[in-house]
Amino acid sequence: MKLMFDLPEAEEKLFLAAADPSEKRMYCLPFNIEGKQFVNDGYMVFTDQFIYKILHQEIVAKYDLANMKDFSTEIHYGSCGFYAKVDGDTTLLCRFVTGRHMPRYTAMIKACELLAERASKEPITNNEPERFCSKCGRPFIANTHYCPFCQDKKEVYRKLWAMTRGMRLMMCFPLFAAIISMVIRFVLPAVQKNAINNFITNPSVDIHDNKTLIHFIVIIAAIVMLDIVHRAVNVIQSRISAVSGNKFTQMLRALLFEKIQTLSMSSIQKKSTGDLMGRINNDVSVVQNFMTGLLPTYFSQLFSFVLALTLLIWLDPAMCLYVFIPLPVAVAAIIGFRKIMNRRNVRAWVLGQRTNHKLQDQLNGVRVIKAYGREDLAVEEFENCTERQAKQDRSNAKLFDTFFPFVGFAVRFGSYLITLFGNLALFGGTMSVGDLNQFTSYSNIIYEPLMQITAIPRNISNFTTSLSKIFEILEEEPEVADIGLPLDIRIEGDVSIRNVTFGYDSYNPVLEGINIEIKQGEMVGVVGHSGCGKTTLINLIMRLYDVTEGEILIDDVNIKDISQNALRSQMGVVLQETHLFSGSIRDNIKYAAPHATNDEVVAAAKLANAHDFILNLPEGYNTMVGEKGFSLSGGERQRIAIARALIHDPRIMILDEATAALDTETEKLIQDAINKVVKNRTTFVIAHRLSTLRNANKLIVLDHGHLAEFGTHKELLDKKGIYYHLVMAQRKAALEKQ
Amino acid sequence: MAQNTITNEEKKKAAAEAADAKQEKKEKASSEEIEKLKKESEEAKKALDEVGQSPDEIEAMFNKRESVDLTPANCRFYRSEGGLISMELTLPEKEVEQFERIVVLRSFPISNPDEYISIREPSTRRRGNGAEIGLIRNMHDFDEATVKLLNEELDRRYFTPELLKIYSLKEKFGYLYCEAETSAGRITFVLNNPYSNFRTLEDRRVLISDIDGNAFMIKDPENFDKASLKKIEIYL
Repeated sequence: MKLMFDLPEAEEKLFLAAADPSEKRMYCLPFNIEGKQFVNDGYMVFTDQFIYKILHQEIVAKYDLANMKDFSTEIHYGSCGFYAKVDGDTTLLCRFVTGRHMPRYTAMIKACELLAERASKEPITNNEPERFCSKCGRPFIANTHYCPFCQDKKEVYRKLWAMTRGMRLMMCFPLFAAIISMVIRFVLPAVQKNAINNFITNPSVDIHDNKTLIHFIVIIAAIVMLDIVHRAVNVIQSRISAVSGNKFTQMLRALLFEKIQTLSMSSIQKKSTGDLMGRINNDVSVVQNFMTGLLPTYFSQLFSFVLALTLLIWLDPAMCLYVFIPLPVAVAAIIGFRKIMNRRNVRAWVLGQRTNHKLQDQLNGVRVIKAYGREDLAVEEFENCTERQAKQDRSNAKLFDTFFPFVGFAVRFGSYLITLFGNLALFGGTMSVGDLNQFTSYSNIIYEPLMQITAIPRNISNFTTSLSKIFEILEEEPEVADIGLPLDIRIEGDVSIRNVTFGYDSYNPVLEGINIEIKQGEMVGVVGHSGCGKTTLINLIMRLYDVTEGEILIDDVNIKDISQNALRSQMGVVLQETHLFSGSIRDNIKYAAPHATNDEVVAAAKLANAHDFILNLPEGYNTMVGEKGFSLSGGERQRIAIARALIHDPRIMILDEATAALDTETEKLIQDAINKVVKNRTTFVIAHRLSTLRNANKLIVLDHGHLAEFGTHKELLDKKGIYYHLVMAQRKAALEKQ
Repeated sequence: MAQNTITNEEKKKAAAEAADAKQEKKEKASSEEIEKLKKESEEAKKALDEVGQSPDEIEAMFNKRESVDLTPANCRFYRSEGGLISMELTLPEKEVEQFERIVVLRSFPISNPDEYISIREPSTRRRGNGAEIGLIRNMHDFDEATVKLLNEELDRRYFTPELLKIYSLKEKFGYLYCEAETSAGRITFVLNNPYSNFRTLEDRRVLISDIDGNAFMIKDPENFDKASLKKIEIYL
């Protein structure tokens, strides 16, 4: 994120005049709120000695960093504040809009601390992605870096074009087909005209003349043939566009999924599962639908519009006027009607959503409703919702049914004029019936695209947005990446964590300055309040994230130098929430080692205390589990997860709250399993129940991201610090329970 | 059939016996556990006495302070040197406490802004959220100067400009882009989910929260000029 904004000219002069030339400008951030007003010319300039607050082209305050400490930001309602102690008194330095600047000012906390200690020569940087377009200041589309207003659309289309390589011919076919079918549509009236003028309205026609008869048959045959060709082209076009669309979608989805799998945990965590699913499903569908459905339609409509217009002018420029006189009225009627109906439909949709939401809410909470006897309230609230929705639907339907025919009339008004004046011309003898028929047919073609014209811009912008969202994923670089020549080492299990600092957001460290040395084969317990960074520490050891500062070594090799594949294949993980994939128990246990034999599967299950309960299931190891399978209890799932972690004989084992949600008896079984598991393996165990850690060789006690205590059970008890208190508190609770 | 019943009964009996045995074992185990725990906790107490830390101190490490009712009788608010609010708390049988800075929060910022005002210690990065010092039932129990002081801080903290006029409102790309006049000046803001970002309250007020975390308020949409109302109507 940008921490050095440019000052506007006037402010720049002001600042240069006020500041000493020896001062180095380190950061410059805007602020937006002062008193009860939004301001757009407020700036905080941080030099290596002072903070200048500039507002309305005046320096309103100058703070000496040497006298400041305890910098902090506070989130208020609707805004945020940046605070510090100036000469020992807490002062509100400035206020700003949360979403725009909170991460910047939070980064400033650390930056100012360094400045106050005179410890930084160079400005710190912040890698957080910007959420706002630097050009127009509008927010990017959620979870992307795409500004729909400023993004060069051509760039996106160019990428799409590059992607269609190998499918272009197939994808262009719908366009060719559309042109062919259009041409036929235009030829048809011309042929019809010939038939009408030469035969139907021609009194001198002699049907007994062979020549005339053949002529007539040829024309009729041509009309039929044209129709057949027209339909045949349509059939072929539909088939090909179905296939090409299908292929394209499949390719995009596969590419996206593959990319998501290679992305690192940190970038995936920033996007929700729903968002990713949306991109794979919806956005790809939008793109496909546009490319194979809407685009050929728009293309052929544009083509036919231009062609029909040319032909009309060529046929009879005067009559053309009648086509166009009512056009503005018709377009206005369509746009107006669409606008009104759109608003009303949205309203109905919102009310429908509300009803759905209420329904879901109340049905989910039906036990609570019954328990508190509030059935009447539930019924009343739901009826209110449905009533409002029904009312809106009714009124929408009435309006649509009443006014739609009028809109149709307005649109068709031109053709009435043509009929009127065409017939007048016909009676006057300046026009033939065939000409009139041809003219009317062409003018109908002109009116057709009008009904859709209002939806085009919206469809195009939806298409571009979806496309950009897809490309964004495809072009994202994984944050945790292997180095050029990663090492494939056989891990023994020594782990040392040196000076590690890490935060999911760089300005907000979750772990700070952690130093731990662990010998091979030790069982290490990780203890602390919730949110103190236990799981984060484990994530770092697994290298799901890269540390911000410091290093983590396994067998004296930095884990950044080890290939991710080698690293993870020698680690086993059991989490609190166990995810079992749909499939049999055997498949799930074999997940980490697909070539494992049944022997190994059974051995792992036995080690995890899972063998006995698995045999009690009706289909033994072949029992289906997962979403649609046999439902197992938490403890059973947990033991399968332990077996899964054990199957490839990991050197480092991680148990993250594996026993938290279980009853005491199951915990004992799992405890047993754990005791077997930890032999000869470096094991990290995060646990709330300290009894689980009774056998731990070392304990790590974390407190708000700092390493509070590190040592053996006995050492820590003797120390009488946090661990001691946690133990006492749990014993007290256990005693009270008894 | 008969045989079946017998076997079933036998089964039941066996199961009951097994359960009894289990229970006994469990009881035995748990009583052993209790003994062990008791012993350990006594040891711990002894250890504690040796160190000489008072139980209160240890309590203070783990329990936050207890919140009290704040009245004009037991507390006094005044402007701090840094322009914020300081407080002096006088509790019976306790020393007078000075707070260099306190944080003022509303319990019901929307429905009852003047009642249940929570006075808290500021949050810090190390210690997490600040503890509640006390609760003011009704701000108007205090004198006018104090109310003014508190309100000044509260207005800052609950910065909710009123929307006065809407110049333009466009829905594009799934976002709602709005340009409006507010009591805090002209501003453009963006809503990411127009239909849930508007929240109509019982007293017709409408609260709007935008993508930046700004909050806006419409006192009564009916009092809007026609053009503004028409633009915003469909979201209400």
